[in-house]
Amino acid sequence: MAINGAAEVILRYDDEHDREYFEALFGNDFTIQSFTSDQPARDHLCLSTKPPAAIVLIPDRPDGHLQSPLLAEARDHHPGVLKILMGDAISLNLLVTLLDDQLIDRCFEQPVNADMVRSHVLTAALTRGEASPSPVPEQAGAGARPAILIVDDEPTATRYLARQLERMQNQFRVLCASSAEEALETLRNANGDVAVVMTDQRMPGMHGKELLDELRQSYPAIVRILTSAWGEVDVALDAVNEGRIFRYQKKPWNAGELLALFRKALARHRALVSARNSSLSQAEQQFAELRQQRHARLLEHLSEPVDRLAGAQVTADFLDSLATIRTLPALPSHLRASRETPLEHELVRDFGDLVRRQLDALERSPEAAPLNRSMFDLAMANASEASTRSAADQTPLSALCQSLTILLTASGLNHSHLNIEQDDTSLGVTPASALHMYSHLLAPITRLSRPLLEQQTALLLLHVTARLLGGGIDVAGGDQSLRLSLRLPAAPEPEF
Amino acid sequence: MLAGQRRLRLYVTIGQRLLRDSLLFQILLHDDVELVGESETGVDTLNRLHTTRPGVLLIEENLQDNDGLTIAEHALTLNPALSVLLISDTPVSTGRMAIYLEAGIKAVVSKHQPIQELIKTLFYIRGGQVYVGNWQHKPAAGALGAFEALSGREREVAQLMARRTPVRDIAGQLGVSCKTVHSYKDRIFVKMGFERLPELILFMQRHQHGAAE
Repeated sequence: MAINGAAEVILRYDDEHDREYFEALFGNDFTIQSFTSDQPARDHLCLSTKPPAAIVLIPDRPDGHLQSPLLAEARDHHPGVLKILMGDAISLNLLVTLLDDQLIDRCFEQPVNADMVRSHVLTAALTRGEASPSPVPEQAGAGARPAILIVDDEPTATRYLARQLERMQNQFRVLCASSAEEALETLRNANGDVAVVMTDQRMPGMHGKELLDELRQSYPAIVRILTSAWGEVDVALDAVNEGRIFRYQKKPWNAGELLALFRKALARHRALVSARNSSLSQAEQQFAELRQQRHARLLEHLSEPVDRLAGAQVTADFLDSLATIRTLPALPSHLRASRETPLEHELVRDFGDLVRRQLDALERSPEAAPLNRSMFDLAMANASEASTRSAADQTPLSALCQSLTILLTASGLNHSHLNIEQDDTSLGVTPASALHMYSHLLAPITRLSRPLLEQQTALLLLHVTARLLGGGIDVAGGDQSLRLSLRLPAAPEPEF
Repeated sequence: MLAGQRRLRLYVTIGQRLLRDSLLFQILLHDDVELVGESETGVDTLNRLHTTRPGVLLIEENLQDNDGLTIAEHALTLNPALSVLLISDTPVSTGRMAIYLEAGIKAVVSKHQPIQELIKTLFYIRGGQVYVGNWQHKPAAGALGAFEALSGREREVAQLMARRTPVRDIAGQLGVSCKTVHSYKDRIFVKMGFERLPELILFMQRHQHGAAE
């Protein structure tokens, strides 16, 4: 949900100086509600109609908040609210415990980097609603056994642990890698079976933290655990704040403890996968409806001017040809753009306006003379030279060539990439390779751009002008691409 | 920077050469940035993504050939670990910012923001972090406030430096050692949040002409 006005933050502090410090840093960015004890803060949280973006805790003694009713309330009943701890010296043990109890999401040592804190809070405010998923019960026999990947540069220790864990249960498999690079290789070959990665921080080559950053982006459903014997608080804090780790596991390892940890991590993984799947399939489903509505409105607005000029069914043919071009799947961002911005309305209006302007320029044009290859080449050369679309009257041939040029340019191609064949009665024009079409009128989009509207108009104009010239167009959609071929009636080249 | 953090492998897609060069001159002053590729068009960017393997893609939203955001979405499908920084023509509304973040864009900087903001953002997102700056509010006082907070001597040195007076001459004029001038210079840069002399020169000239912020 979009934020209206400033993001709200509940500040729970002990020392008046800390409140002043926080307000000096963020008074311009957030609406701050300050409390010196948990109960009123908790009441405020429970009673507010719109939950705050974040709760920030700046305590005198951070370890006094292990039982914080405020944080527990937020964890249990307001999963979208970001829980941030700020402290002078955060001990690793405290961090591990708070993380285990899921009482905090981010943790910063004083003096804090104000940019970072602001970014985390604003991001939480903006992406609210992508609440953390709820656990999903394990489904017996669903696919292959998931795998846990342990990454450590001491292979003897890892293999011993792996054997222990394998003997203790048959819920998951244990894989090992001795470096971050090997881990990434393992993941590429693992067919998506890896559910959890636990990595050591200090390894030659890529460090554990970097591996986790990479995983967070490339494999967001894999649950990430960092482990280290060194107790570096700064690394742990970065891993929490940036790597969004599930847990920080101290060494030496204990197989029993790890077994419990991995079971929790697997449950988390199942929840992530199921939340992602349902969000994706929901987005696809909801977009399918939007697509139908858009299709109907385009047909309604365009059929009259287009079909009157070029003949029955041209608009429908054009929309059908678009529907064969596969684009990226719909995401929540596309749905949000369609629902919360005037996108859908503007798409039909702006495209309609552009098309009508083009058609008006066409209508007044004289009949084209019988076509041949050199005429076509000349028209293509003229079209490439005309840097902008002229408002002046256009013959169907010049409009066709201009439209082809726009589509070729959008694919990084030009006139020389056309295969042109002439026989006694017709001219065949086919781009040598498929044309890119990364988005189109019936695809999920987040905004209207000039290139999009131009390309779509060009494709429609190809349908129109091919008809006007007495020929036709074939369009076959591919993955973000289309193959098209034009066949136009033509007379043989005059002989001199 | 974290120890062991790899170089920032940057790909830049900006249509106009002048803007692209200007940004690159500033960005490449940071020696852990490596320019692995640049394009004028979106289609060229996608064609070259696989061979250049960038970590960060800096891309303009309004490109000539295709929509920059659409290109970025495709780039993310090809390489989900890519961090995309989008440059928008206009300031971004809250609603748009939410859409960008949901689309997997790591940060958006508008052409109305200072270059320092772009560079700061570039470094924040290098490891795949989302970064949302205070993109709607002007910084409370900014460099002008910082300048007014300088001591009289520091301001004097700043003015001389901005006139490109050599350190030795500044020392002579003020009757202090070169070392002292250098320590003034360091303090001025820290207080003003500048890293290099051209930033100070630009600020002072704008300030003198009453155009600063």
